[in-house]
Amino acid sequence: MNIDYLSMLVVLPILASIFLLILTSRLNPTARAKFDAPVRMAAFIISLAMFGIATLMFLGQIGDVGWNDIAFNTFEFQESYVWIEQLDITWTVGVDGLSFPMVWLTTLLMPITIIATWNEKAGATYFPLMLMLGGALIGVFVALDMFMFYVFWELTLIPMFFMILKWGGKDRKYAAQKFFIYTFTASVIMLLGLLTMYFLMDTQTFSMQEMVVQASGANASGVWLGLEVQKVLFIMLMLGFLVKLPAAPFHTWLPDAHVQAPTGGSMMLAGVMLKMGAYGMFRLPISLFPHALEEFQFIIMMIGLVSLVWGAIVCLGQTNLKKMVAYSSVSHMGVILLGIASMQPLGWAAALFMMFAHGIISPMLFAVCGAFKHHYHSMEIGAMRGMAKHSPWLATSMMFGWMASLGLPLLAGFVAELMLMVAYWYAYGWWIIFPGLVLAITAAYYLWSMQRTIFEGGEATQPPESLHGEPVPDIDNTEKIAMLLLAAFTIVFGIMPWIFLDMMDMWTRSAMAFLGLGGA
Amino acid sequence: MSTGNEFDTDMIETLGPELTVFVGLLLIMIVPNLGNGTFRIPSTSIRLPWFFGGTRFKAVASPRLPGLLAVLTMALALFQVVWYLLDATPADGQDIMAGGIFIFKVNMFSRIFEAIFFAALLLAAIASLDRLPIGSQKSDDIDVLFNNRRQADFYILMLTSALGMSVVALAQDMFVLFVGLELASFSTYILVAFHKESRAGSEGGAKYFIVGSVASAVGLYGLSMLYLWAGSLQFHELAAQWEAQGATSLSMMALGFVLVGFAFKISAAPFHFAAPDAYSGANSPVAGVLATASKAMGMLGLMRVLLIITVPEANADGSAIWIGLLGVLAAVTMTWGNIAALGSENPKRMLAYSSVAHAGYMLAALTAIGAWNWGLVDDAGDAMDVVVAALIFHMFVLVFFKLGAFLVLGVLEMEGGASRLSSLAGLGKREPLIAVAMFLFMISLAGVPPMAGFLSKLLIIMGIVEVATGTGSLASIGDAHWVWWLALLMVINSAISMFYYLRIGVVMYFHEPEEGRKGPLASGASIRIAIALCAIGTVAFGLVGGELIDLCRDAAESLR
Repeated sequence: MNIDYLSMLVVLPILASIFLLILTSRLNPTARAKFDAPVRMAAFIISLAMFGIATLMFLGQIGDVGWNDIAFNTFEFQESYVWIEQLDITWTVGVDGLSFPMVWLTTLLMPITIIATWNEKAGATYFPLMLMLGGALIGVFVALDMFMFYVFWELTLIPMFFMILKWGGKDRKYAAQKFFIYTFTASVIMLLGLLTMYFLMDTQTFSMQEMVVQASGANASGVWLGLEVQKVLFIMLMLGFLVKLPAAPFHTWLPDAHVQAPTGGSMMLAGVMLKMGAYGMFRLPISLFPHALEEFQFIIMMIGLVSLVWGAIVCLGQTNLKKMVAYSSVSHMGVILLGIASMQPLGWAAALFMMFAHGIISPMLFAVCGAFKHHYHSMEIGAMRGMAKHSPWLATSMMFGWMASLGLPLLAGFVAELMLMVAYWYAYGWWIIFPGLVLAITAAYYLWSMQRTIFEGGEATQPPESLHGEPVPDIDNTEKIAMLLLAAFTIVFGIMPWIFLDMMDMWTRSAMAFLGLGGA
Repeated sequence: MSTGNEFDTDMIETLGPELTVFVGLLLIMIVPNLGNGTFRIPSTSIRLPWFFGGTRFKAVASPRLPGLLAVLTMALALFQVVWYLLDATPADGQDIMAGGIFIFKVNMFSRIFEAIFFAALLLAAIASLDRLPIGSQKSDDIDVLFNNRRQADFYILMLTSALGMSVVALAQDMFVLFVGLELASFSTYILVAFHKESRAGSEGGAKYFIVGSVASAVGLYGLSMLYLWAGSLQFHELAAQWEAQGATSLSMMALGFVLVGFAFKISAAPFHFAAPDAYSGANSPVAGVLATASKAMGMLGLMRVLLIITVPEANADGSAIWIGLLGVLAAVTMTWGNIAALGSENPKRMLAYSSVAHAGYMLAALTAIGAWNWGLVDDAGDAMDVVVAALIFHMFVLVFFKLGAFLVLGVLEMEGGASRLSSLAGLGKREPLIAVAMFLFMISLAGVPPMAGFLSKLLIIMGIVEVATGTGSLASIGDAHWVWWLALLMVINSAISMFYYLRIGVVMYFHEPEEGRKGPLASGASIRIAIALCAIGTVAFGLVGGELIDLCRDAAESLR
């Protein structure tokens, strides 16, 4: 029997979440509170099932796929159904070496996030929203139809908007609206770019696969679009993705959204949602307009460099732990742009692996921040001292996360950074001083913040004032489990990066060859 | 063109929906007055029962009767129209003539507009069943009696406006079109002022009437000039004249004046000033009709005039003569509407300005049609069909989410006003389902997938871009037709509009309700049903709008 597992990964959580939301919508708050635990359990089981499906797909138990041999623009598990026939819009799904790691990552983070935020208030609404977010995110990654891609691209905004609004911090209204409007603005401009491109195709189609073939054929014969038009369309598409990524100077929504978002929202936002931007860049503008990419190579490199340096410097000055982590995300996303701009297969693979590694590490950082907020009621770096004494679990998790994020060898982040440095050196030579310097700054802000929170205070530990003299708690068991899982995966992918790196590498090398870029 | 019929028995079949409305109108006037009244033959003492007046029969005395009759009438008419549409092909068309003059033409294009009008009026009529206060029949209170009496008036006006709108849809003659337009307009002027609970109602009605009649007068003046120029007001005559003579100064001036009349109806800037007052004064279902059906009527008039009469290419590059003017109008209208909506604290005014912005989007699409002969497009007719179909689709689905949004405000009005943003506060807690519906309407208005509003906006932008890009070998984006920049302005405007639509969501879910408005809303089964229908339409046509798109394309094809 032929089961369309990919569509199931998209549709199942969304339908389940709508069902759960409707189920409890007519209840009054007290009656709804009784549903928190069952709904949470249902969401958890569904997310575990999704993780199971994705893992079985990877292991070859479902469909026998040679993951490391998927060439550029070929897709596995590809299924296509007519959606809106009149506009040639189809529901087409498929995965390749670019999207599968992201799909797997999403299914991994969903149960972990649910575990980490096990006791979130108003769970009967929160967990269904989490499911909807997960389904929409997977939808973005597996969509091979431009229309479908855009639908899911926008659909991710809605659950996140409500998560920030309902469970967020003090300035949540401002942050949620800013988040929505920034990304919506960028994506409608992207939409116009997509549509313009659609009509400039020889054979008009919404199929991404078909478009790439047409564009490359036309580019080879040099008759398709003028370079000017290619550049304009490239900018319009990139704009949507750069805001999502986010890269300086479009990054200002991110710190606000992160600081105000609840822990689970932040984990998904940093873990997967930012990667949508990088994924989109590879999938659309880069695959379609390689010549424009060559034209803009230096500008993209500069944007990446500015994000990297700016993010890192701003981190130094932060007193809010979560804001610091948010800016460090901006900095890391700059690395992805550097990888793209290096125009080396190695650099692209570094960018892809950075997406993946940051997708495991940053949720851990935000889980730590969430634990701080939850147990210390404060996120000020100076507010807690000598944490190693009174909450060893939290201190250990924090230290591990921080180390992973600054690129300690044997952890996942290191692999990406090392690859990037090599590729960058090949491409830009002595410019490498800047990212090198940033590594030093990164180490500085991470170590400094740890020193102030974990160690300082010596024997006379100093619990934060925000606790008002209550005994100092350590983190909950559910939080411990989530941290342990994330840490384990960080180590696994640090020691054995080839698990996913091989398919990414295949994708980048075949893409470069196909597009006629770089040295390949 | 098929052969025309003089008025005869065929007409009953052909004009079924219109006759249904007409009969319904008569019934509303007659049925509530049936009673045991008698007629005395003069100079005798014989009294013949003639069933009018006297003590009314129990079965017809209910003040709800006119409303139910109106709903039934509209539903029946809508059913007939949809039946026709599902059966027809673009080539079908039936002319109705009188004395050698084409009066009406029944084809898919006119019928689909009737479907829009009837659907909007049906939803508004269903919602009004609860919205208009009805008191106990036993009460002696003069206000209650008065309220009960005016039930009939309200629904009579609704049906006359339906009749007027369908005349506009069918008309093949400028004069007939104008008669229909005025019939519909006068009904809506009164409907706006019908909202007696609020003082803003009569003020809005008066403003709407004054500005509207001036616009009509200007339009009528334009018509007289057109007649002077062509010697006829028949569409096909005018088109032939336009082709023969081209644009003369007289015809251009006439055209300009006629445009003013229609621009008022669709509330395009700078003729939109009465709209926010009228919408905020009117009771919400009526405001919803103004923003959907009445606007579609204006758009229909614009299409008839601009596409049938004048589209034969006049400019050197094959674009229409009015393209520049309309482009500016579109740009100004959408930007003005959105910026004004940003600052509106009254949700009804906000929706009114948002509907001004939507008028701008539609004008942008019309502008693109004006460029249809733009040297690059393979088959000019195709491009035109695509844009016209997009416009029809937009107006069709607009009925669901625009009217739906007004109906939600209507529910709030039932408990005392919806004129401040804060009256929406806490709706998410008080009425989760209605709040969800309102949120769906808002994001649909903003154009977020997978709502119907996204699909319609996508179709419009696609149409514009298709016309602008031509056959596709552009060297630079500057080589595309300038209407492409209208598409860009449109997406930027959508982004701006996001702000005020989202604000409604934030207020509904995250502001504490006002004092005295805590618990669930007053019940009102029928208005809730109408809202549910709107919500279902909003989502369903967004997810699976294919069939409707087909229908709109066929309708667009039958315009030519």
